[in-house]
Amino acid sequence: METQVAGRRIRVLLVKTGLDGHDRGVLVVAKALSQAGMEVIYGGLHLRPAQIAKMAAEESVDVVGLSSLSDNHRAVVPRIMEEFKKVGLDDVMVLLGGFIQEEDVPVMKRAGVAEVFGVGTRLEDIAAYIRNHVSP
Amino acid sequence: MFDKDLLERLKRQQETWNIAHQESFEKEIKKEFVSEAGIVTRRVYTPLDLAEKGVDYFQDIGFPGEFPFTRGLSPVGYRAGLWAIAQYSGQSTPEECNQLWRDLVAAGLNTVYAAYDLPTQLGYDPDHPMAEGEVGRTGVSLVSLRDWEIAFDGIDLGKTMVSTVCNAPGAMVIAMNLLTAQKQGVDLKGLRGSSQNDILKEYTARGNFIFPPEPSMRLVVDTLAYCSTVTPQFYPITVCSVHQSEFGANHVHEVAFALANGIAYVESAVNRGIDVDVIGPGIMWTTSHDHHALFHEIAKLRAMRRLWAKIMRGRFKAKNPESMMCRLYSSVGGTSLMKEQYLNNIARSALAALAGALAGAQRIDLRTYDEQWGIPTKDAEITNIRCQQIVGYECGVGETVDPLAGSYYVEWLTKEMEDRFVAEIEKIDGMGGTLRAIESGYIKRTMLEDAYKYQLGVEAGTIPRVGHNMFRQENDQSRPVRVYRADPSVEQRRVEAVKELRRTRHDREVSRTLKALRAAAVEPATAENNLMPAIIDAVQAYATIGEMCDVLRDVWGEFREPKIF
Repeated sequence: METQVAGRRIRVLLVKTGLDGHDRGVLVVAKALSQAGMEVIYGGLHLRPAQIAKMAAEESVDVVGLSSLSDNHRAVVPRIMEEFKKVGLDDVMVLLGGFIQEEDVPVMKRAGVAEVFGVGTRLEDIAAYIRNHVSP
Repeated sequence: MFDKDLLERLKRQQETWNIAHQESFEKEIKKEFVSEAGIVTRRVYTPLDLAEKGVDYFQDIGFPGEFPFTRGLSPVGYRAGLWAIAQYSGQSTPEECNQLWRDLVAAGLNTVYAAYDLPTQLGYDPDHPMAEGEVGRTGVSLVSLRDWEIAFDGIDLGKTMVSTVCNAPGAMVIAMNLLTAQKQGVDLKGLRGSSQNDILKEYTARGNFIFPPEPSMRLVVDTLAYCSTVTPQFYPITVCSVHQSEFGANHVHEVAFALANGIAYVESAVNRGIDVDVIGPGIMWTTSHDHHALFHEIAKLRAMRRLWAKIMRGRFKAKNPESMMCRLYSSVGGTSLMKEQYLNNIARSALAALAGALAGAQRIDLRTYDEQWGIPTKDAEITNIRCQQIVGYECGVGETVDPLAGSYYVEWLTKEMEDRFVAEIEKIDGMGGTLRAIESGYIKRTMLEDAYKYQLGVEAGTIPRVGHNMFRQENDQSRPVRVYRADPSVEQRRVEAVKELRRTRHDREVSRTLKALRAAAVEPATAENNLMPAIIDAVQAYATIGEMCDVLRDVWGEFREPKIF
């Protein structure tokens, strides 16, 4: 089980996008990734795109997991990706989880999201994806 | 409850039965049938189990409509008419939502259970930068009295109840509800309806908070005190347990945390010198009644009703039975429904309606079959209204009051639940009350543990979910014919509407009333300094939720979540 990059644990920032306060899903994922040996920073609620980018840069994370349940992802995710570029986070892996319509998955991937984990995803699949795709 | 001789005879007979059927017992598929809250269900229940728990008919069960209300709040139950049928709904602009609600009322809806969009719930108008991408998406955007006039045009608030879900600005939403009713000519003394207005659960389970707990509690107490005289049939708060359940809390944590919040509201009012019997009758509850663990759900709600009555009479010395009544506005959350083979959800919703009815709920609300696919469509909402009507009218579930009373199992489970609620509430009392337990992160952490365990249980298949972790259909192509998605032009239309409002109202009146609101908010809360009159004035002047919340944000600041992870 590889949860280290360049001698340190994989660092993951998890946040809710926008105004939705339902954080059960993202917190359960936080717990699962932490149990899988990763270092998880939970950013919390009601964050604007620039705040998320700032947090990701400051925490020098390998992965940012965005959680959206309010169908705001088409508006908000591209804005977050722009902010990542502004702070020089061109290569951070961005994952999107939550309530994402199937037809939006390719749209999100074109916007720069590496993978989308929708309703019914198994926790171990998220951990496995990160382990397999974060390169040292 | 049972005489000694009978219990002795029963004990001997059960021992004989146990010996005679050992072989059958070994065929049971599980060693233990244990609930998510850790309650172990026995093979069979008899009067012996009730005796062991010390259940007493007169103390614990009694008669419907009388203390401790285990058997329901009304002496005649549904024999005088069904529960009120509600359906959580709301979308887009006030104009479009008006059509939706009219259609639902025409289908038999008794309560418009209004779903708001996120910006309004967080006190931002559509043109605020924080609202970007979220306007009219998860619910309707209703930020002013003008919006209310449009949204409820042609819906008689004297006949159809409204129940709003917009908690942090709850006081402002109540003001809009009362003023709209008044404009329609409804006498406020007879106005019925409710507002969720339960801020405490937002800090732990729903995340739509604005102000810190203390001033938020002040607003809640203000609404309770104000409505008790102005509109005594209206429920200014429905204290929630459904959101704790949706967060993943097991039955015991779900209800104990809600009751602890209820205690905090009453304490807060009493500490301000308000008589418990003034505010007690205005409290309603938004509980949860899922289809799974059906008997646990029913016992849970019966136990909750009994314990709240005891708390109000014992702890708060309430004298008016109305203060002791735990009115159940029971709901279901979307997590109980599955994305796969979505039509199966209609069966789940119908069973949930049955659970609510068997528990004696005053109002029932269900989630829709397309819940896991998007914001519910109108067709799915009407199907839910029909589910309730089928359970109510066709099943004959209301012909006798509290039909499961006296079931050895249900009464045992009701007592078991009550004992566990009491133990958890004592634990919270020991921490210094629910506000301390919120601040320390205890409540959220506890629920997260439950949610995590649940997720592992679903993934391992120990918690059965048909179509999801059992009886999965390969190459499942089923998907709803129509999935609702908000029209992206809604946001722009709402931005224009609020700008138009600002152009057409009387600016001087708006700034005068907002100034008065600030002046009242700066002064400490007392029985005399209630913020509701100032809020009513501001709403009447067509001040928006965003503007009123900005004033209060400026005076009170904003809540910052404790770190729980």
